[in-house]
Amino acid sequence: MSIALEADRLTKTYGAVCALDDFSIAIPAGGVFGVLGPNGAGKSTLFRIALGLVRPTTGSVRLSGAAPGDITALRKIGAMIETPRYPAYLTGRDTLKMLALESGAKNADIDGWLERVGIAHAADRSTAGYSVGMKQRLGLAAAFFTKPELVILDEPTSGMDPAGIQEIRALIVDLAKREGVTVILASHQLDEVRRVCERVAILSKGKVVAEGGVAELTAGEARLRITTTSPIAQVLSVLGAKGAADGTDAVLADIRREDTPALIRALVEAGVEITEARWRDADLEGVYLRTLETEGAA
Amino acid sequence: MLADAIAAERFRLLRDRSTLFWGFCFAPIVGFMINIGGDLFLRYMIKKPMPGMTVGLLDQVIKAVAGGAGTFGALFLMIGAAAILAGDYRWETWRLLTPRNTRQNLLLAKLVVVGEAIFWSLALTAVLSAVAAILGSAISQRGLTLSMFGRNLFDLIGVVAITWLEAMTIAALAACVGVLTRSTMGVVIACLGLRFIEGMLANVLRAMEPPGSWKLLANPAYDADLLRAALLDPSQLGQASGSAGPALAVLLVWIAALAAGAVVLFRRQDLTKE
Repeated sequence: MSIALEADRLTKTYGAVCALDDFSIAIPAGGVFGVLGPNGAGKSTLFRIALGLVRPTTGSVRLSGAAPGDITALRKIGAMIETPRYPAYLTGRDTLKMLALESGAKNADIDGWLERVGIAHAADRSTAGYSVGMKQRLGLAAAFFTKPELVILDEPTSGMDPAGIQEIRALIVDLAKREGVTVILASHQLDEVRRVCERVAILSKGKVVAEGGVAELTAGEARLRITTTSPIAQVLSVLGAKGAADGTDAVLADIRREDTPALIRALVEAGVEITEARWRDADLEGVYLRTLETEGAA
Repeated sequence: MLADAIAAERFRLLRDRSTLFWGFCFAPIVGFMINIGGDLFLRYMIKKPMPGMTVGLLDQVIKAVAGGAGTFGALFLMIGAAAILAGDYRWETWRLLTPRNTRQNLLLAKLVVVGEAIFWSLALTAVLSAVAAILGSAISQRGLTLSMFGRNLFDLIGVVAITWLEAMTIAALAACVGVLTRSTMGVVIACLGLRFIEGMLANVLRAMEPPGSWKLLANPAYDADLLRAALLDPSQLGQASGSAGPALAVLLVWIAALAAGAVVLFRRQDLTKE
């Protein structure tokens, strides 16, 4: 299996602040990989180091096997780091033309990509007048239009309207599946990561605290939600350590699916009035928050 | 590739009309207007032809081009150079460019494009001063001759080359200052201040040091003056007549050293915000 991004014992300090702390990760090529973490977890620093914007204090990083800034590797990479900014005197079309020249991609399909990201109507307007969402869309076109093998996206849908978010998510998935582009994306929107990514890494305080497939990480995280008219304390007394209150009229039971009938029987025998019992889907947000809580970063 | 980076930078500059005008067209246009205004004023005040006075076309053009990297010209060239060399700090667009080409290519491309723009600015100065000479001779009803001092086209080309080299020393310095300060204003202030000190120091040292001494030769403004004098009137040089070669070498070394310094600094720089 080839590796798209490999970081080996990467440390980056800004004065007294340690953005990455002996950080190691190997992100496989193919599919969409999500990088999660709270603000200051080191996501942007990792991307900036990988793209050669920032130098690591110690350790190394390789993109498609090449060092950051290597011209052959750069020609295979697209990126959008944080909210994109553009010279105000350039139009959207001119921005892509300039970037195509910079990348040596003379035959890039500029008009096709402006259309694909939904800003063809504003292609000849100055980027100074673009909304945040339009800048994001132009940034996505800039990341993808040179047909890269690997694309790094930092918060690709921030500032977009719900319809735009859906559109861009579909585009990312489509590119990864149909055109074989490896996408590494950082996002605060866990729902987005769940819908788009096959694998994720959770970062906290400059380290990887959890990594794996989304299904793998959320496995065992499903909970039985029991809604009741009885006092919550009465339900919890039956569940013991496996129960947790979820609002004023429900509890979450951390049990195996095959134990459900036995639990229901025990609750009924204890006089609990059950109005509903439903398995709640595996939840990436729960995994994320619990992981950070364990790490003391939540 | 460097050629790609140059093409991209050239494309950007051609779209940046404000930088093109203020950085590279404004000073030649002002020079032209001052020339014509002066001729109109004299014509209006004197109100009659000045017999016996002749305008030397090449003399006037050479004089205008030679002053192209003086303090006034340098101010506007630095505004243009600052916008090109440090503009990506201002716009926070390094993050857009750095993943597309090597840092070395990105900065060298900017320097090359600044060099091209300075050349075209000097060419515009030459063309406008030629037009001013022709119009001025008509306005003041003076005779027009190619040169009153036997200058030829090669003298003009030489002066353009020397003034370009002089301006490029400031541009290379602007690249260093731009990377260090990450500010367009920093570039303009630092380079203009240094250009002023350079000119002043050259004048002071001329009175204190023997012609062609290393202290004088280390000063790019002195080197450019010396080279222009060696080209146009070698008899002016006196003791410094053998210093033209070293002066040219010093100018080239300044440009190379400052450009290399800027590239080294930029390659090591963390672009955390930009």
